[in-house]
Amino acid sequence: MATNVKDKDAYLRLNFLYQAAHCVLATNPENVELARFYCHTEKNISKRLVLRQDPSVKRTICKKCCSLLVPGVTATVRQRKCRQRQRKTVVRCLSCGKTKQFLNNPSYVLWGDRPESQPQYPQSQSKQVATQKPPVNSKTAR
Amino acid sequence: MALAYIATKEHSPQESKQAKAFIDSFLKRSLHNLQEEEIQRHTDYKAVVLEHKYNGKKTQKKKKSKGLSAKQKREMKLFHLKPEQQRSVFLPLNELWKQYIRDLCNGLSPESNPQMIQSKLLKADFHGAIVTVTKSKCPSYVGTTGIILQETKHVFRIVTQHDRLKVIPKRNSVFTVEIDGFITHVYGSKFQLKSSERSAKKFKLKGTIDL
Ligand SMILES: [Zn+2]
Repeated sequence: MATNVKDKDAYLRLNFLYQAAHCVLATNPENVELARFYCHTEKNISKRLVLRQDPSVKRTICKKCCSLLVPGVTATVRQRKCRQRQRKTVVRCLSCGKTKQFLNNPSYVLWGDRPESQPQYPQSQSKQVATQKPPVNSKTAR
Repeated sequence: MALAYIATKEHSPQESKQAKAFIDSFLKRSLHNLQEEEIQRHTDYKAVVLEHKYNGKKTQKKKKSKGLSAKQKREMKLFHLKPEQQRSVFLPLNELWKQYIRDLCNGLSPESNPQMIQSKLLKADFHGAIVTVTKSKCPSYVGTTGIILQETKHVFRIVTQHDRLKVIPKRNSVFTVEIDGFITHVYGSKFQLKSSERSAKKFKLKGTIDL
């Protein structure tokens, strides 16, 4: 099934780079630069080949300096108040200071998971579309 | 700038009388808690600006750019590796890379097509691979072995067995990569690209290969 994905090699490479960044940071937390370099190349490849990054990957890479955001190692994660009865998660990159904010909204559904994001095809093609969904860049289980 | 004077005592006599009567009654109705003298003071000879005020230069908001410029990146030393690196730290990276290559080639076995593997390796990532310099125009590079940490446009940064970071230019060298018995020669002069650009580029199959 996975063999007929179009840019399989590129997806594999992206996956490898992301995992390598995690691997390098896990073995030596001092080595932020190398992890950043891997994330930077990953970002560039996906930019050049126009491959969509999964939100779970995108949310762990700093937009400004491309470093991998691992809570406690390269980033701080805080809960902040923003409105009444609303909290947000603020992730701050420790090397450049850029922040990311996420509203704590349990009912939020990612655009890719919503039914209207899938293009509407006649029924005969709909099965193919489901199988051609690009593989999600998965984190290593560590 | 347009100025308008509320002048109740000038103008032609008939009009001004009518206007005065109208204004007086209007002011009495709207400002009933003020006394007449005060009302007079309010209405006499006052300049009223009818157009909006011009506040000098408009403060232009600077466009906030999210990214960093190349100069800033260089100054912050974002990708600058420290010279002391331990080789043992990167052994897991090497394991990861081997798995990745096996995945890429659908499992390396003796009967798989070498050309297919070559074409896949061309676009693969080499971070984490163990390479050896086999040929080089500079003889002191020959024989150095290490794990690739960083691949830039012109240079490989590798960690040698003696825990030292070495910078080896790609030009004029031939590198050897070995995975599961497959030995691949990489001609550095043809490889002078950013590692991120290589996956998008189309390589020409034939060409003279020189050092
Ligand atoms: Zn950052």
